[in-house]
Amino acid sequence: MRIQLALFASLTQYLPETENGNRLSAHAQLVDLPDGMTVGQVIDRLGLPDEPRIVFVNNRHAPDEYVLDEGERLAVFPPVAGG
Amino acid sequence: MRTILRVNMSDLSITKEPLPDKWANYGGRALTDALVFTEVPADADPLGPDNKLVIAPGLLGGTTAPNGGRLSVGAKSPLTLGIKESNSGGQVAHSLARIGIAAIIVEGAPADAAARYVLEIGPDGEATLVRHDELAGLGNYATVDELTKGFAEEGRYSTMTNGPAGEMLLPGAGIAVSDPNGYPNRFAGRGGLGAVMGAKGLKAVVVNDAGDAYLEHTDKDAFNAAVKKFAAALREHPVSGTGLPTYGTNVLANIINEAGGYPTRNFSSGQFEGVDGISGETMREITVKRGGNVKHGCHTGCVIQCSRYYVHEDGSYWTKGPEYESAWSLGADCGIGDMDSVAALDRECGDLGIDTIEMGATLAVYMESGKLAFGDGPGALSVLKEIRKGTELGKIIASGAEATGKAFGVTRIPVVKHQAMPAYDPRPIQGIGVTYATSTMGADHTAGYSITANVLAVGGTVDPLKSEGQAELSKNLQIATAMLDSLGLCIFVAFPVLDIPAAFEAIGEMVTAHTGKTWGADELMQLGKEVLTYERLFNTHAGFTAADDRLPAYFYTEKLPPHNVVFTVSDEELDAVFDFVPATAAGMGIS
Repeated sequence: MRIQLALFASLTQYLPETENGNRLSAHAQLVDLPDGMTVGQVIDRLGLPDEPRIVFVNNRHAPDEYVLDEGERLAVFPPVAGG
Repeated sequence: MRTILRVNMSDLSITKEPLPDKWANYGGRALTDALVFTEVPADADPLGPDNKLVIAPGLLGGTTAPNGGRLSVGAKSPLTLGIKESNSGGQVAHSLARIGIAAIIVEGAPADAAARYVLEIGPDGEATLVRHDELAGLGNYATVDELTKGFAEEGRYSTMTNGPAGEMLLPGAGIAVSDPNGYPNRFAGRGGLGAVMGAKGLKAVVVNDAGDAYLEHTDKDAFNAAVKKFAAALREHPVSGTGLPTYGTNVLANIINEAGGYPTRNFSSGQFEGVDGISGETMREITVKRGGNVKHGCHTGCVIQCSRYYVHEDGSYWTKGPEYESAWSLGADCGIGDMDSVAALDRECGDLGIDTIEMGATLAVYMESGKLAFGDGPGALSVLKEIRKGTELGKIIASGAEATGKAFGVTRIPVVKHQAMPAYDPRPIQGIGVTYATSTMGADHTAGYSITANVLAVGGTVDPLKSEGQAELSKNLQIATAMLDSLGLCIFVAFPVLDIPAAFEAIGEMVTAHTGKTWGADELMQLGKEVLTYERLFNTHAGFTAADDRLPAYFYTEKLPPHNVVFTVSDEELDAVFDFVPATAAGMGIS
């Protein structure tokens, strides 16, 4: 399956190497993954640091157990705040 | 002994009074509220002699309490027409507290409206009013340059200055407060308090606290232990310890955009396609490349260090690193996705002395009228420059989003109690909608920052798209924030306080050791309730009703993409947010 993967702030450096054309923005790109992967499995595969994080799928908060589907957008943030 | 400095602009007298015993436990927002509630008639003309500008450091101001140097500025607001406490960073709170000043009350009005006065306060607390008509019309940066020529060699000083917008009595005007390097780039921005200062003929306050030490404590050892405990929690929490110091407040741009709540082009979408150009990550990258400072505190004793300077290509100072709210209002809300354009607008607002949130929202409303295209950064700067010229357009713009919308026939005006909404759309983030609707301050995110549990997973989680739990979340945050604002603590300490029990304990321990009176959780929350009670009662006396505690009608009917939702928290839930006020008022003996 192909999904949009977006990693922000200190996590941006974990975006995998990609071919030209797959990069969507400074923080997001298209990635191909085996069908049926969960959010948690993608995070493990990327090697993200083991610390609290905020996860969105399609602009809504999602748990690590969420099973991703073709065309969905996964976005991961480290703990951030401000205002 | 803490004292009140009373400055009468009608007869130019200055008197010192002891802080009344009944307010011995008040500082910051609690003290500005108590004084405005007690001394300003609720029906006073905000720009008339009966209104009073009250300036107060928090109860922990002047101590080594981490992040304890916030300043409260209060008055009846010429923008909202209700009570206002505008909270600022910068160095003035510590300066005042160290010389024993609990509050400055500026009252009356000068006989000569063209006169410009500077209130100079020396290290011993001695204050004088000096006439400086030559400062009339100067921007905040030039004003500080002129004022501090004589002080720079004498040691520590800090300033509050009023720019041209405030001198013109325009309700979007704010008051600039100097940072530790003397730049007038921190703001008591919201609610038009610059116009109140202008109506008093007060161009600036200069505080010279050279040689004064931090304040004494009832129990020094206990205080220092609590400080250590509190600082450790601030450093331990990933938000205050890592995220904020690295990227600044604008680290929020991408996550609020991801959540679909980043108001774009006058609140017509919840996502901005140009967010990459104005995000905290991009701002850091540009600033580092140009050699700018990317991490400092807005006042001494700040452990979090979320401030930064935005610099020109040659590395010279341009403006403060635009905060999230400013980068959003002058950026996404106007469809502008370029950091240098945002910086130019931020600098102009800072020098004019005008609230960046109100101005960005105003420019977006003006753009919606068709007078200017969304995305036109140079055009937006030209419009802001009309303010300094004092043209009719400039005066309408500096009067805020509602005035501008009415003048140019725009019906979608995102305000509550006449004050523009900040950088979160209340439809997909319903908790912040409760705060916007009910806050005594008008639409204000800081009053009860429900973004914590709605989006950031701090202090638990509450689904932002649903109405359930939002009123209770906002209520508790509004009480806690009123408490922090009264102690003089930066509200960013709330992120660790909501997650780390020791951080909350340490606040009570610091206040207990400082004052000698026992402060536990109940006393701290009671303080917050008393603050909100003063504010609610003042607003009721000023004519506010439940109808004022609502969002504009279109937020209940027009769906916001991408989530395509409207605001759904019921009127009954909104009306229950301040259910504690009657009992609290009875206990305080006020009505």
